[in-house]
Amino acid sequence: MASISIALSLLQQQQPISIQTVIPSKHRLSSSLRVFSAKFERNSSYCYVKWNPQKIGKRFLLSVCCCSSENPENGRFGSNGVEGLGKFVSSLQGTIGTLTPVLNGIKGQVGKNYAVGLCIAIAFLLITIRAYTSRKSGYNRQGSVADLVKRGQLRSDRRGISKPLKYDDPFNNPLVKISENNSSVEMCGKVYRLAPVTLTEREQSNHQKRRSRAYQWKRPTMFIKEGDSIPPDVDPDTVRWIPANHPFATTVSDIDEGLAQNNVYQKHGVPFRIKAEHEALQRKLEALQNDQKLDKLGVDPSNARDFERPYKSFSKSNEHLEQRPSLNQNSNSTSPKSDRHPNTPNDNSSSEELQKP
Amino acid sequence: MISPQLSHINPNPSFPFSNSTFPQSLPTKTLKPHFKPKPTPIVSVLQYNRKPQLSGETPRVVVITSGKGGVGKTTSTANIGLSLARLGFSVVAIDADVGLRNLDLLLGLENRVNYTAFEVINGDCRLDQALVRDKRWSNFELLCISKPRSKLPMGFGGKALIWLVDALKTRSEGCPDFIIIDCPAGIDAGFITAITPANEAVLVVTPDITSLRDADRVTGLLECDGIKDIKMIVNRVRTDLIRGEDMMSVLDVQEMLGLALLGVIPEDSEVIRSTNRGYPLVLNRPPTLAGLAFEQAAWRLVEQDSMKAVMVEEEPKKRGFFSFFGG
Ligand SMILES: Nc1ncnc2c1ncn2[C@@H]1O[C@H](COP(=O)(O)OP(=O)(O)OP(=O)(O)O)[C@@H](O)[C@H]1O
Ligand SMILES: [Mg+2]
Repeated sequence: MASISIALSLLQQQQPISIQTVIPSKHRLSSSLRVFSAKFERNSSYCYVKWNPQKIGKRFLLSVCCCSSENPENGRFGSNGVEGLGKFVSSLQGTIGTLTPVLNGIKGQVGKNYAVGLCIAIAFLLITIRAYTSRKSGYNRQGSVADLVKRGQLRSDRRGISKPLKYDDPFNNPLVKISENNSSVEMCGKVYRLAPVTLTEREQSNHQKRRSRAYQWKRPTMFIKEGDSIPPDVDPDTVRWIPANHPFATTVSDIDEGLAQNNVYQKHGVPFRIKAEHEALQRKLEALQNDQKLDKLGVDPSNARDFERPYKSFSKSNEHLEQRPSLNQNSNSTSPKSDRHPNTPNDNSSSEELQKP
Repeated sequence: MISPQLSHINPNPSFPFSNSTFPQSLPTKTLKPHFKPKPTPIVSVLQYNRKPQLSGETPRVVVITSGKGGVGKTTSTANIGLSLARLGFSVVAIDADVGLRNLDLLLGLENRVNYTAFEVINGDCRLDQALVRDKRWSNFELLCISKPRSKLPMGFGGKALIWLVDALKTRSEGCPDFIIIDCPAGIDAGFITAITPANEAVLVVTPDITSLRDADRVTGLLECDGIKDIKMIVNRVRTDLIRGEDMMSVLDVQEMLGLALLGVIPEDSEVIRSTNRGYPLVLNRPPTLAGLAFEQAAWRLVEQDSMKAVMVEEEPKKRGFFSFFGG
């Protein structure tokens, strides 16, 4: 890292001793420590330490610069260390002396024991904080029952529901790494051994042959009511009988196949059944108006206006109605409420569903 | 009991799942396929730094089926569907589980399903009104076949799905890249409906013989129906149990079914949490193991690829000093 090498040269200016490789890592430790503690102080609920080398590098450089302004003190401290102790301890001391502002305040008076003690204390503090944060993050994890409450599936007065996160770059995933020789893969911090797939084309086709011998099947295309007999020119293998009490399938339908297909293909405009219902209402109103019975029936004027709206928008297409007398039958009995729910009155189940939140 | 039914369908004694021959017919060595002497070179199994190449004709109509219930069809549909959307493909997921629909719950879209294909067929609404667009990934849409308590007229159950696929092909916003159908369990009317429009199938199995027997039968039915492109997802795999020889390995499963592997999904407690949230785990951050596996499966589905190597067991990771700091 560039910043570290700069820092090293800075240190070398101050201290005549040679600096060992242990220093960079020590630097990283103490600087990250400071980043961490600063973050923690600023916002105690912040519970995730990000290891961002770039950021840390910058901070580290900054702190080195700060310290170099207090040069004379540092130099004295550094040379003392060289005299008394081995290379390792002195470099360690030098690092601590140069980099930790907390130490800067006190290092004039106290010896190395105190510094080491402080280090241990800080390490201990760090461990405690980490344990605390990991425990805390365990509490507000996502996907708990609280989410069911939030979605209205469960009733409860629970609070503290966290927001879901989006993970949105599928093309760059740092959590998956494959080893160079492809023999293992690291996912989510765990390493898995890989074994090659051994299935061959021949085995695959053997299985296919075995299955084609074992199972002869034709997908049923004809569904008839239980008890009905098979129509003449139909392959009996493709017929499936549906009992009247089948949980979700039925053979009865109030709509014919061609019309159903048209409904599926319809791209614009008013859906067929809504249209039919409105037309039926319109006819009813028309009949009422023709008979001049509007007042006698006790229809209040606001209701009458409700009836008139569909009348105007759908007055042009009458010929469709004549094709479907059975539907008109249904819709004739429709109350005004049914134009809020586009279901026919005999379709209880679905209107129930609609009203469900 | 399934056995009498099975032997009725299958007079052939060589069938490896028929009751008496099942345990013996497997040579014991197949239980440890990764101890085979000559290891073939493993090619890379994971892809990340590029957009997957869509192969095959669009729309790719894929049915996700299993035979046995509760093995993870709906979970797979939701996660693969949203993965595909994340990879930039337009996806329509069809919940064809007529009796017990729950794809909408897994996706967290349950409050937005006002209309279903049932209402479309009936003329209560148009198809575009019945499609529920996901707000997280706008190129993902959900279509439910019917309301839990309404009865689907079987006269045009399967046909209706073909019409729906046709209508989606010709719609003005363009044909979707993928139509993924969540199939109900069993081989009843719902299954028949769900597989009708499909060109390819994904078979979800768990590494236990009950699931495998059903899967084999369903594969047979799909092949009879002309769906030849069948790949499997092995779900709820536990490497610790496999190592202890308490669970069949993925390679054992493959040896029994003879199907190409689309994905291997580990057992993961995040699955239930993501169900609670209505937030498929492929959208989790940080991603979980199962989420990554689903994502990779989606990747292979796009490229019509299959797995060349499987993860067999966990190795202890050498942890550096700084891993303590989450590095
Ligand atoms: N990889 C997994 N790890 C842990 N749990 C899982 C996993 N996959 C699925 N499950 C759990 O298994 C249960 C069934 O899953 P799912 O509903 O997807 O199955 P299904 O095949 O669609 O069922 P059905 O046949 O009823 O439609 C769910 O509770 C889900 O949380
Ligand atoms: Mg399901």
